[in-house]
Amino acid sequence: MRKAIALIVALIVVGAGLATFFAWRASPEPVTSTYFLMDTVLTVKTTGGDAATINEHLHALASNVDSMTSYYKSGSETVRVNAAAGRAPVSVSPEYAALLKAAVAVETIDHGRTFDIAISPISSLWGFTTKDFRVPSAKEISDTLAYSHADQLVLSDTTVQIRDSRARIDLGGIAKGYALDVMEEYLHTVKPQPRQVIVDFGGNLLLYSGGQKTDWKIGIRDPRGQGIIGYVQSGDAFVATSGDYERYFERDGKRYCHIIDPSTGYPGTLNQSATVITDMQPMHGAIGDALGKVFFCSTAETQRSLFQAVQSQGTVGIVIIDAAGARSTLGPITFVPATAQ
Amino acid sequence: MKRSDRITAVVILVAAALVIVSWIVMHRTPGTVAVVRVDGKVVATVDLTSHDPQTLHVTGVLGPLVIVADGKGSIRVTESTCLDQICVHTVPARSPGDQVICVPNRMVITIEAKGNRIDAVAQ
Repeated sequence: MRKAIALIVALIVVGAGLATFFAWRASPEPVTSTYFLMDTVLTVKTTGGDAATINEHLHALASNVDSMTSYYKSGSETVRVNAAAGRAPVSVSPEYAALLKAAVAVETIDHGRTFDIAISPISSLWGFTTKDFRVPSAKEISDTLAYSHADQLVLSDTTVQIRDSRARIDLGGIAKGYALDVMEEYLHTVKPQPRQVIVDFGGNLLLYSGGQKTDWKIGIRDPRGQGIIGYVQSGDAFVATSGDYERYFERDGKRYCHIIDPSTGYPGTLNQSATVITDMQPMHGAIGDALGKVFFCSTAETQRSLFQAVQSQGTVGIVIIDAAGARSTLGPITFVPATAQ
Repeated sequence: MKRSDRITAVVILVAAALVIVSWIVMHRTPGTVAVVRVDGKVVATVDLTSHDPQTLHVTGVLGPLVIVADGKGSIRVTESTCLDQICVHTVPARSPGDQVICVPNRMVITIEAKGNRIDAVAQ
């Protein structure tokens, strides 16, 4: 009897050992590729499938989105639309029209008070488009704000028109998230399927495993240093962060970040960062990206009421660090502080 | 102890050793490493657990960059030919997921660690 038990134990241990060994042998090494576009870094880490080819294709898709949406690149749809401001409607691709519609849909959540693709004349005033930073006068801001609003846009399924000749649109606040949407759509169709893909596009993330993984650990960056303050767990998702530490300048000891609060025309100061996690439905990458700005420019009270509205539209959870450095979460997500690791 | 008992004991010991070795191979953590890439290609890796300070001279797309690992676990860019100097003003990198980026030079320093429990950092 003792012998039989010993034999069974031995078999189990040998089996477990072999299984561990072969699991290790069979797990493919991830392939990491780094690219530069949209004034930031695109890092793709693919495990399994035809990883190198997938990475190249994802880069090509991001480049296409850049060529379509860029505020600067001649020939982009944004440049064409802006060049015709105050004149006739411009015909655009169905994809571009759909992206503008998604942007405007986010604006309507809170009547354009916290996110507006037509705020770019104000950003220019502050020097964020040229990196020639300055603090504009209150009058300059109020004069410019008068026409820096999405109600200047006339949209149809195939055309865009800007009413005021001085108004401009800039999709910088939504284009990276949209690029992740386009990538996600491709990843669903690629064969053989990769085991997992992590796309980091300037800090905006796409976490893809074909629905296999439910415990992605998403680090939340410390807004006032390097490293993370903790992490949240999620299934496959888009993750977008708006933070005042990404692009900013300082004058007289005051920090002016690149995210303009459309209701005031001044850089947002209510929060240090807002991270929005959205599920993998079409356009939720773009919407999450825009919602990052919405929550970044909102008070705690507004954040709670807005969350009710966006939760039904695919927002899984939000992590906010306010101006005082206090953290709060919205939605059914658990935040694990870095000290508890 | 019978002969067959001894054989069983040896089998169990060997199997246990196999499990432990496999586990170690799978989970080994080779310290924290800073990987320096220019235009997507790795140009240097620095072991941040080393106590020796190190200065790296790297050629970016625009021109030379000076990167210093302080021997206390941090790495930063001290000089760059770029106009905006964002990389020079970035907080030194030390934890997995940290980055120092110079877009004009197409240079990225990333902190990597195999045993890292975080998949990606939202920033």
